[in-house]
Amino acid sequence: MNGINERDIHIFVDAVSNFFFHVTEEKVEIKTAYLLENDVPSATYDLTSYITLSGNFTGRIYFSAPRSMLTHLLLIMGEQVRDNDRLLDTVGEIANTISGNARKHFGETMEISVPISQETEPDWLKTVVSPHSYIILVKWKQYRASVVVDIQRAGQT
Amino acid sequence: MEDKRSIFFRYRKIIFAVVLFMVADAVVIGINFYNTFKADESAVSINLSGRQRMMSQRMTKALLTMDRSLEAGDEEGLKISLKELTLTARRFDRTLMGFRDGAMVTGGDDNPTYLTQVETDESRKFVADAYEIWNPYMKLLKPLMNSDRESFLDEAFKKKLGDPKKLEEVKNKFKAEEVFTDEEFKAKLEHVDNFPEKFQAELKAAVAFALEKNPTHGEPQNNRAILKLMNALTTDLEHVASNRAATLRIVLIVGILFALVNFGYTVVISIRDLIRSDQELAEARNETVEILTTVREGLFLLDKDKKIGTQFSKSLPDILKRDIVPGADFLPHLEAIAPRNIYETAMDYIELLLGDRVKESLVTSLNPLTNVPVLVTDPRNNTQTRYLSFFFNRVVTEGRISHLLVTVQDVTDRVVLTQQVEQAKNQAKVEVETLLRLASSDFDALQHLVSSVGESLSQINEKMSAPNDDARDRLHTLNYVMRIVHGIKGEAAVLGIDVLESYAHECEKEMVAMREEDSFSGNQMLRVAVLLEGFYQRHSSLAQIVSRLGNALGKTQTTGGTAEWVPQKHPFEDHITALAHRIATDHGKQVEVSCQFERFFSLPKTTEKELQDISIQLVRNALTHGIEAPDKRVERNKPRTGALSLWCEYLGHGQYTFTVRDDGCGIVPERLREHFVKKQFMSVEEASALSDHEIANRLFQPGVSTAEIADQDSGHGIGLDAVLEKVKEMGGHMLVKSRPDQFTEFNIQFSTVQVH
Repeated sequence: MNGINERDIHIFVDAVSNFFFHVTEEKVEIKTAYLLENDVPSATYDLTSYITLSGNFTGRIYFSAPRSMLTHLLLIMGEQVRDNDRLLDTVGEIANTISGNARKHFGETMEISVPISQETEPDWLKTVVSPHSYIILVKWKQYRASVVVDIQRAGQT
Repeated sequence: MEDKRSIFFRYRKIIFAVVLFMVADAVVIGINFYNTFKADESAVSINLSGRQRMMSQRMTKALLTMDRSLEAGDEEGLKISLKELTLTARRFDRTLMGFRDGAMVTGGDDNPTYLTQVETDESRKFVADAYEIWNPYMKLLKPLMNSDRESFLDEAFKKKLGDPKKLEEVKNKFKAEEVFTDEEFKAKLEHVDNFPEKFQAELKAAVAFALEKNPTHGEPQNNRAILKLMNALTTDLEHVASNRAATLRIVLIVGILFALVNFGYTVVISIRDLIRSDQELAEARNETVEILTTVREGLFLLDKDKKIGTQFSKSLPDILKRDIVPGADFLPHLEAIAPRNIYETAMDYIELLLGDRVKESLVTSLNPLTNVPVLVTDPRNNTQTRYLSFFFNRVVTEGRISHLLVTVQDVTDRVVLTQQVEQAKNQAKVEVETLLRLASSDFDALQHLVSSVGESLSQINEKMSAPNDDARDRLHTLNYVMRIVHGIKGEAAVLGIDVLESYAHECEKEMVAMREEDSFSGNQMLRVAVLLEGFYQRHSSLAQIVSRLGNALGKTQTTGGTAEWVPQKHPFEDHITALAHRIATDHGKQVEVSCQFERFFSLPKTTEKELQDISIQLVRNALTHGIEAPDKRVERNKPRTGALSLWCEYLGHGQYTFTVRDDGCGIVPERLREHFVKKQFMSVEEASALSDHEIANRLFQPGVSTAEIADQDSGHGIGLDAVLEKVKEMGGHMLVKSRPDQFTEFNIQFSTVQVH
């Protein structure tokens, strides 16, 4: 029981959507949402950035996207450099936007770490804290990315 | 009243200054008026006093002229002088009397005027002194004036006017000149003797008196003494007038000075009050602005026209997530965010508060705008549900309700927390109830349920993990999820596990609502995921309880594979019978159930579970749609208690048949047509165009129900399509037989032999 509701989850997804809308004037669209479970596709992509929450909520919010999507995004932004480091920066910026929205929604009492961006490790989802983390698959242009909400309200088990 | 008093108190100094100014003005004007009046009197007195001087001299001159005329025998001169003497002596006498006592006299313009008596002691003394001379003088003059007339007439009569006509003319002339009256004239005519001598003597006496030395006043002649006294009187009167003018000047100067001081005082006080008021106002305004910019609640005033005041708290637009313009109508804002029914009630409530008829304290509890769910759109165009509370307080000015003070609070966190606490409490309660129920249930069946529900949830999650690009695919997924949830509901109902059954029912309701929305987007999939998470929570709790119970009973959890014991009667018979009786009771019906499930023991577990799910759904259908209420059955010449039979038969060669039959109202195509049209599943034309067979087949489509009202057992349109789906998964087929008002029979044929 993670103690979060649909409104809480929307805060994170909306942050991603608003980031894309701000940069490209095109929102991302939720394609589906499900729960993290054994034998269910984990929907991770090439690069992942996450922020760690503590306070009223504990856990992590991940944003994972394929390189092709991030490269396309940089093209639209007019970036000349589109190497792996720049792609990691970009996925980190998106996680940072999530962080800003979370702080605004949950209040200043929530402590949020700086985003940590990395190439997605095969078994990264084994580190989750919530019994059933939410995986929200989103689509921007022809690309798919995922927001993974792995948090639980303090005091919940 | 309190306000009025405080206004007077606040401006008391200015009011005092103004009143003082008016009083002083009135006093100055009064004094001025009095002095002006007195100046008029003084002018008359001075003028007449001056005339007295002149009169005294004219009088003496006339007297001397008479004397000379008489000696010279100048009758004409005598006559003129006598007239002059008479006129001046009378006016002098009258005027002097006026100075002494106050009297009407002939003024300088020959018009009557009032002469006031003199006021000062000096003047009174001058007048008194003048009288001492005048009284004897007048005594001498009076006979003279009379004898003059007689003498004159005598002379005129005797010497010149022998003609009676001439005499008449003279008489008329003197009469006209008011020298004497008609009677006097007659009387005097009779005494004409010796008068010239007497007249002369009297004249000489008067002249002598006029020219007689006056030692009292140190003058050589009485005439000069009178002149001197009149001079002195005139001077004194002028002095009095001068004093009065000086007094008037002083009064005016003092008045003007006072007025200036008063004006200065008023100006200083006013400016000081004004500055203080401005400071207070500025401080109050600053405080108001600080309050309105700091306060977290939305604060504003609502007038009788339901318009928002010119000032409101900075947080108001943020709470309402709307642009608020000062003076804007409040109701359109409320209408845009609040549910319709609450908005309408709120309008009445606000109207009630703005009226004088009811007490505020009595209607506060009726406020419909507490914890109102509102749909708000943030600047990024994201729509979200938040909970707002509006509180209204009357603002009473001078005994009348002028405004409502409205406080708006965003209570979303509180409401959500309350809901979560409530949910947690309910869940705890349900868990305890479940535990008690579980303790009395078949443990193996419970283990089977936990395992089965876990598998179902995984199936749902797996289905949802596949991203769907179009709405139709998503709808297909939703229907799939609904069928499985319906199955879970049935399984839970059989064992009486309310915690799962009621949650499944809630999920069904929500998903039915989603299905009816115009477009089924990814956002709804997120909502389904949240519902699924709720299922997992409950399943997890149930699994833990069952596990603990198992430990307590010394049993281990089975994997859902083979049964360890083979009773003669299959346990599902009791479960389905209990479920049928519960549903019948809920719907006011009576039923007798007969089951033959022995063949279930020889079926693979998956098939057995599918048949149990199918049984549950068909039993629900039979009792909600098929078997009639007892009275209705009696009308149709049937027993009050309906009959429901379920049985499974082996046909040989791995072939089985499973039948569910009830003796209810049957499937009547005509009734179905009417119902579908009424529920707007199809138009009249479409319904008419379909054959009886086709119309009956519609019952197996998702979303179609024949129940009038949706409840826990029916009405969501999930039943028969789920049954058909399961039959297909079993590789079997289904036959439906029915006769109106007699029976309905579902016959499923399947095989346990794998066909390759």
